[in-house]
Amino acid sequence: MSAAGLTRLLCLLAVLAAVGLLPWLSGRDPALTVLRARSAEQEPTKEALDAVRRDLGLDAGPLSLLGSWASDLVRADLGTSWVSGTDVLPSVLAGLQVSLGLMGAAFGVALLLACALVAPVLVRGRRSAGAWGAMLAAVPEFLLATVALLVGGVWLGLLPTSGWQGPAYMVLPALALGVPAGGLLGRLVADALPAVLDERWVELWRGAGVGRGSVSAAALKRVLPPLVPQFGMAAVGLTGGAVAVETVFAVPGIGRTALGAAKSQDLPLLQGSVLALLLLGLVAGAASALLRRRLLGPALRDAGLSLPPVRPVRTHPAIPLALFAALAVTIGWGLLRDPYTVTTTARLAAPSWSHPLGTDGLGRDVLARLGHGAAPTVGTAAAVCLLSLVIALVLGFLPGVAAGAADIANALPPVIVGILVAAAAGPGTGGAAFAVALISWPPLAAHAAALVQEVRASSFLTAQRAIGAPPSWILTRHVLPSVAGPVARHALLRLPGIALALASLGFLGLGAQPPAPEWGLLLDESRAYVERAPWAALAPAVALALLAGLAVSGASYAQGRDTVVRRRKATPGSRTSVKETPVGV
Amino acid sequence: MPLLDVRDLVVRYGTVTAVDHVSFALEPGETLALNGPSGCGKSTTALAVLQIRRPASGEVRFEGQELTTLTEAELRPLRPHMQPVFQDPYGSLSPRHRIRDAVAEPLKVQGRWDTDSGPARVADLLDRVGLDPSYGDRRPHELSGGQCQRAGIARALASDPRLLVLDEPVSALDPSVRAGVLNLLADLQDELGLGYLFICHDRSVVRHFADRVIEMRDGRVSSP
Repeated sequence: MSAAGLTRLLCLLAVLAAVGLLPWLSGRDPALTVLRARSAEQEPTKEALDAVRRDLGLDAGPLSLLGSWASDLVRADLGTSWVSGTDVLPSVLAGLQVSLGLMGAAFGVALLLACALVAPVLVRGRRSAGAWGAMLAAVPEFLLATVALLVGGVWLGLLPTSGWQGPAYMVLPALALGVPAGGLLGRLVADALPAVLDERWVELWRGAGVGRGSVSAAALKRVLPPLVPQFGMAAVGLTGGAVAVETVFAVPGIGRTALGAAKSQDLPLLQGSVLALLLLGLVAGAASALLRRRLLGPALRDAGLSLPPVRPVRTHPAIPLALFAALAVTIGWGLLRDPYTVTTTARLAAPSWSHPLGTDGLGRDVLARLGHGAAPTVGTAAAVCLLSLVIALVLGFLPGVAAGAADIANALPPVIVGILVAAAAGPGTGGAAFAVALISWPPLAAHAAALVQEVRASSFLTAQRAIGAPPSWILTRHVLPSVAGPVARHALLRLPGIALALASLGFLGLGAQPPAPEWGLLLDESRAYVERAPWAALAPAVALALLAGLAVSGASYAQGRDTVVRRRKATPGSRTSVKETPVGV
Repeated sequence: MPLLDVRDLVVRYGTVTAVDHVSFALEPGETLALNGPSGCGKSTTALAVLQIRRPASGEVRFEGQELTTLTEAELRPLRPHMQPVFQDPYGSLSPRHRIRDAVAEPLKVQGRWDTDSGPARVADLLDRVGLDPSYGDRRPHELSGGQCQRAGIARALASDPRLLVLDEPVSALDPSVRAGVLNLLADLQDELGLGYLFICHDRSVVRHFADRVIEMRDGRVSSP
């Protein structure tokens, strides 16, 4: 088995073991929770707690706990809920049914949106459709769900906003879940198409009089197979988005069940629903692999079907700079004000000179809370960035291990990892940061691995060995400096995205806790009185949207620049064939 | 005693045999050309002589010392005696370092760097390969291909080598620049008595430059 395959298996087992060991991992004593839930009036005496512990099997060691959980799992027994005392399996199945319906509808929305994004490229050969897709893909589901609730349900009053009683209840959640996924799918295809349409065969076919429709169909068939694995990852993203969307719209799906179970410390129910979500992700991944095999057929063995390199539209630096400036001014202004003073006389006040963005349900200034919420979020996101940078640099030297671990990390949406970490360590900023760090390193590691490979293949490293330089000299003077700089810049540009992931955990109550003015938390708190004071919800929503825009435009600016530099570097040596030289560093 | 004596050299990449029982010898001050089409194993032979790619079997003797049985650590002090010059002039210098630092690096790695006389030694090396020492402040992308190749030769000379392994040193250069670099190499050989293992695929260059030519094809020597 290859290093990647072995690591993939080990990581999968580690995730399963982490799920199975949740009762042991959560340091706090669950016996008390269970006792309270079962019989509120019973005194928490030592005997009563011991009885509960014996009952739950908590007195046994971690290994026997894992063993009994795994053997129950094989017999399709997910245990009984600690809180309600009922079997877990029926609740998981019921939730799964609802969630699958929602995800199916969302997938339909995503496909329609992707077609709408791709059509102009095929019809008129326009090249910028990918940018719109990227914008839509960057909007987190929890933000879109809140905005959809606000606009479609509250202002227009057209559609029901909570519950699950008929097709009308499906519209808003499916939109909130499907639009980011559709943006991602559309962007991937729209970005890859222009390069494919410039390939020689297209010219040849057109010259031979082949119709436009046939050329378009063939171009799509050429584009899709290499992108299918990414479609699988988008489906995995749906499972994470489902948690937020189901929570906002009170849909009784598996995601909301998992979140509720995590908050009430009902670990068997949490284990069951997280397992179901992971299974959904794995099935999506397997299905996409199968689809790719079916699309490619025997060509898969030839491995010569990679797409031509995407020519990204280089974003003008003014866009990320303007977004950054808007955010910085708002935050700076807010920092000068007091975020905690409760003015009961001015609750839910509309925006005015004394409160430029209005006040919240306790009469606190929204602008001040936005400003003060930004500083800890940026600080936490920077720490997460640094941690994933270190992980990426280490794994860059072990490309096989990195690829295997990245497959598993990519298959875990941040929300689900956040739920697991919160269940084990309790909700909090540290736990949320840890959860995001666990899964934010794969793109950085892939970048580092590519750079390490590039440097190792260059002949100046061979020259280093030839002059008798020891491996430590080569590593510290040549390899690390060429890799660390670009990867660090890349990590910096991922900072807004990481801040968004942290905000989404805050929104779900898995991150920062009240009264901290964290942005996701602000949005969540304002939902309660969104009908009376929409501005209190709108301010954090707009701020988060600006952050999403910054994440996208910054990343695409960096990508464009990277491509330009690479091309410029490649020109002088392009006449020579550069052979790969083995260098043992 | 020959400077370099290669016997029955075999190099494999996985199951592919790139170099198949190649033997040759090289005297001090001599230029031996390995000529052949691309993919015939001549560059792999060069890497195996330098012990960058360790051969599967066969002997590589440098001044009578067998190299194939040495460990990496035992080999390190011997490596400076044989230096490579590569095909890609830009790729053979780190894009991040100034020319001056690239030429000084062998001295520093080999513990021969002296803060007082070092800079003068670097300037002298640049002068010797026909580069004005003021070029030392530049980085590779600020030089032409021919100038980069001269800098690469200066770095090789910094190790005080007795053998240069020239892997298509002029193939990537414009024809007008080639003659200059070849003349420089010929002058250096006369001055320093260096042995050259010259890898090439262009017969017209070989005929003027080499004392002897070995033809390679499909990993084997095709004519004695």
